[in-house]
Amino acid sequence: MSEETIVGTNAPRVDVRDKATGQAQYAADIQLPGMLYGKVVRCWEHAHARVKRLDLSAAAASPGVVRVIGPKDVTAKRYNSSVLDLMVSESMHDMLGDIDDQPIFTEHVKFQGDAICGIIARSEEAAERAAAKIVVEYEPLPVYLTAEASRAPGAVQFTPEKPGNLAFQLPEAMFPNHALGGGDVEGAMRDADIVVEDAFYVPKQKQCQMEPHAYVAKVDSGGRLTCWTSSQMPKLVQRKLAKLFDLPMNLMKIVPTVIGGGFGTRLGMISEPQACAMALAVPGHPVKLQTLREEDWVISPSRHPGKYWMRIGFKRDGSPVACDARFENYKGGYYLDASGTAFTAGAWLGGMYRFPALRYRGESYFTNQGLTGAYRGYGNPQTNFVLEQLIDRGCAELGADPVEWRKKWHKGVGDDGWCPGVTYPSCALDECLDRGAAAIGWTEKRRKYAKQEGTIRRGVGVAVMNHTSGAMPMLLEHTACTVKLNEDATAEVLFACSDMGQGSHTALKQIAAETLGFPFEHVQLSSGTSDVAGFDIGAHASRTIYVGGAAVKKACEEAKRQLFERASLQLGVPADELDIRDKRIFVKADPARGIQAEAITRAGVYHFVDPMTGEPGGVPGQIQGYVSFFAPHNSPPFGASFAEVEVDTETGEVRVIELVNAHDIGRAINPAAVEGQLEGGIQQGLGFVLSEEMDYDAKGRVQNNSFTDYKMFGPEDMPKITTILVEDADPVGPFGAKSVGESGLVSPIGAVANAIFHAIGIQFTEAPITPEKVLKGILEKGVRNYAAIRRS
Amino acid sequence: MKNRDITLHINGEQYSLNVAVNRTLLDVLRDELGMTETKYGCGTGECGACTVLVEGKAINSCLTLAATMDGKRITTAAGLSDFGRLDHIQQAFVDEAAIQCGYCTPGMVMKTASLLAKNPDPSEAEIRHALEGNICRCTGYEKIVKAVKKAAQTMPGRATAVERCKEVVQ
Repeated sequence: MSEETIVGTNAPRVDVRDKATGQAQYAADIQLPGMLYGKVVRCWEHAHARVKRLDLSAAAASPGVVRVIGPKDVTAKRYNSSVLDLMVSESMHDMLGDIDDQPIFTEHVKFQGDAICGIIARSEEAAERAAAKIVVEYEPLPVYLTAEASRAPGAVQFTPEKPGNLAFQLPEAMFPNHALGGGDVEGAMRDADIVVEDAFYVPKQKQCQMEPHAYVAKVDSGGRLTCWTSSQMPKLVQRKLAKLFDLPMNLMKIVPTVIGGGFGTRLGMISEPQACAMALAVPGHPVKLQTLREEDWVISPSRHPGKYWMRIGFKRDGSPVACDARFENYKGGYYLDASGTAFTAGAWLGGMYRFPALRYRGESYFTNQGLTGAYRGYGNPQTNFVLEQLIDRGCAELGADPVEWRKKWHKGVGDDGWCPGVTYPSCALDECLDRGAAAIGWTEKRRKYAKQEGTIRRGVGVAVMNHTSGAMPMLLEHTACTVKLNEDATAEVLFACSDMGQGSHTALKQIAAETLGFPFEHVQLSSGTSDVAGFDIGAHASRTIYVGGAAVKKACEEAKRQLFERASLQLGVPADELDIRDKRIFVKADPARGIQAEAITRAGVYHFVDPMTGEPGGVPGQIQGYVSFFAPHNSPPFGASFAEVEVDTETGEVRVIELVNAHDIGRAINPAAVEGQLEGGIQQGLGFVLSEEMDYDAKGRVQNNSFTDYKMFGPEDMPKITTILVEDADPVGPFGAKSVGESGLVSPIGAVANAIFHAIGIQFTEAPITPEKVLKGILEKGVRNYAAIRRS
Repeated sequence: MKNRDITLHINGEQYSLNVAVNRTLLDVLRDELGMTETKYGCGTGECGACTVLVEGKAINSCLTLAATMDGKRITTAAGLSDFGRLDHIQQAFVDEAAIQCGYCTPGMVMKTASLLAKNPDPSEAEIRHALEGNICRCTGYEKIVKAVKKAAQTMPGRATAVERCKEVVQ
């Protein structure tokens, strides 16, 4: 039984009252005196073209227009809107081949929605009217929507640094033969008794965060540029913008706003460069740039789609001998995040099962689709769809139970995680599988549904996953945190990492209060502005609690150490014999002896001399704890999902009846928030596997950039959800916590696909598995009972 | 563009305005009155983030021209609560941890108010149906549905409202 009284409780969210009444201020809600309105004019008619002529004059003369700026009015420097390149060393950066290829306004349109020029006007309406008066003539170029098309000989080159339009492949210097893994894959495959193999397609899913991107930027009289943004990574965006506009970082200020959902789309920048370029054109005036929903859809990066081929070899006894895989993803027109997902999709593949031999090749090709970048799961959903289906195909051929097979062959404590050399310190996946199987009624339903008649068929499926808690060791994992004790023994914690809505700031505040021994209500946590808060990477890689929480804990421990040191002088007892509860410091062996923390903090700040004795009271100085924390390890979470589906073999419709998400999260700092992450993850996972994909026409124009045409699971589509939190405290994470932000989305994907396989005996290699694809599969292959396809 | 003089009764206060006839209620609330508690999510009536009550009925303010609202009684999420004191619906959303990023919340709360006014004792299926026009990308709707159930249970004057609805149905 743990002794904590705040950690592990459903403490109320810190921002929730403002959000319930609508008072929370998102970027679009900001109104400043003298504010002007920006509008980015974009290329909507072409996905690949050169700008032959651009005439800004009619727009500049339009009523209410202050300035119109084109490519020649802004820095010629290019940028990379992702921030991954800042999280690796310079030599790693060169090895990966990261490049800056995005202009603020382009003369070579590489995707529909590429920015052409900007209008600054006195109202949004005036800016819109002026936008219609921009004269631009294009020379259309061939449109490449797949890797096959863009790497074909003679294709237009997207950027000279990347011949063949190969934006990225695993670098030879780190990965011999451009492959991640090790062992003799070919030899092992020859010796395998059963080999399963297929080529899959994984979809271009959109984050669909509810808040469309919006910004305000302003240059003040001292030449300082301030940008209000909902980026997930405010400190790295500060450095990116400073570099782009040749400003020292102290003259580039970021004000983080409340974030209306991120899911990866705000990992780095989207239109911050355009917003800042506009502000620089009208010094002294704040410029607001509000992105329209249909625009947001097209310009912000989505999940990487592409072809994913895999084969897995097994011995007759069920043991896996090798896994060979290749993911060719379709980048958009620019480089951002080309290296990240191409690598991590394979990393999580390597982290899942004990394959004696593994070869994964990951490649990113430029295409004229919209940008691709970070999206919750970051390569893991793609791998889950492919790997987990092939494992179930193998299990069917082996006559093995998919739950039992996974329990036997998944990686666990002491095995290498997704990065070789970084071993798993904890793993409770077996318990996830056991409790999940019991919750869905696995054994009974697997047997019952293996033989069915009729047009409506049911099935149950399982899938597992491993994820990450921070990005150590591949990327920098650094968070600075300051905790300041006020004179009344309340605490203020400064921590730059944003809360995107997950509730991370609430959980961090719980960690701070628990560590300090202060009531939850007596701790304030703020992410501050870039000129006030210390360094932090930002909210990505599900790191905020595991890394940020550890930083907050250490800073609070330091403040508590100083507090105890002073109490020890007063009480005449060594500091290590003291404890604190509810702001009262006491002697562990004699709890009646104690002192209020406030007596110490007050004396430290108001350090008066006693007029009677001439002696100062207490120890002088305000107590502050500070840490510049680098994560020492990475403790990935694990999860098992179970799905029950119903397939209508006449219409092809798949209805998800129940979804069980059982996750090994180490320790839930705030259980309701953890459940919320896993439940929300299910909605996005179901979309990936069943309904969500951005569609393009042959000219590379998005066909479904609206909530009507892009189908997400709504409240009536959602299945019965069961969330199981498996708490097996991790030895490294703060209070035993591992991550939960991304992982809930991942394994529902494989579980649903495998449940369909169980229901109708067909596997689908293209996600999302829409009714059309199900019907086509049934027409081509026929509905089969699962029992009939098992060899044993 | 023509303008029109209108009077709006928003959250109990009267506002006399001269609005362009092409301005939506959402634009007027946010840009002209600074009432940013009502959110822009899509501008096309697909997401429900801009939901407000007009004469007690939920509407998408992004699809409603302000000029057509002359004399109407309008309630926004801020109008449900005294400053800092939440009403029972907002409190239920807080208690059930139904709020994550919070961007859909004002719309969800208004839709719930409209639902409970018509149906003080909704089944889970009725709740889910009522929320179909309000998109949330964070919660999977699980805790939002629980919050609406709780709001129904904690609604002031619930017993009377349930009885009245039964009579109407009979």
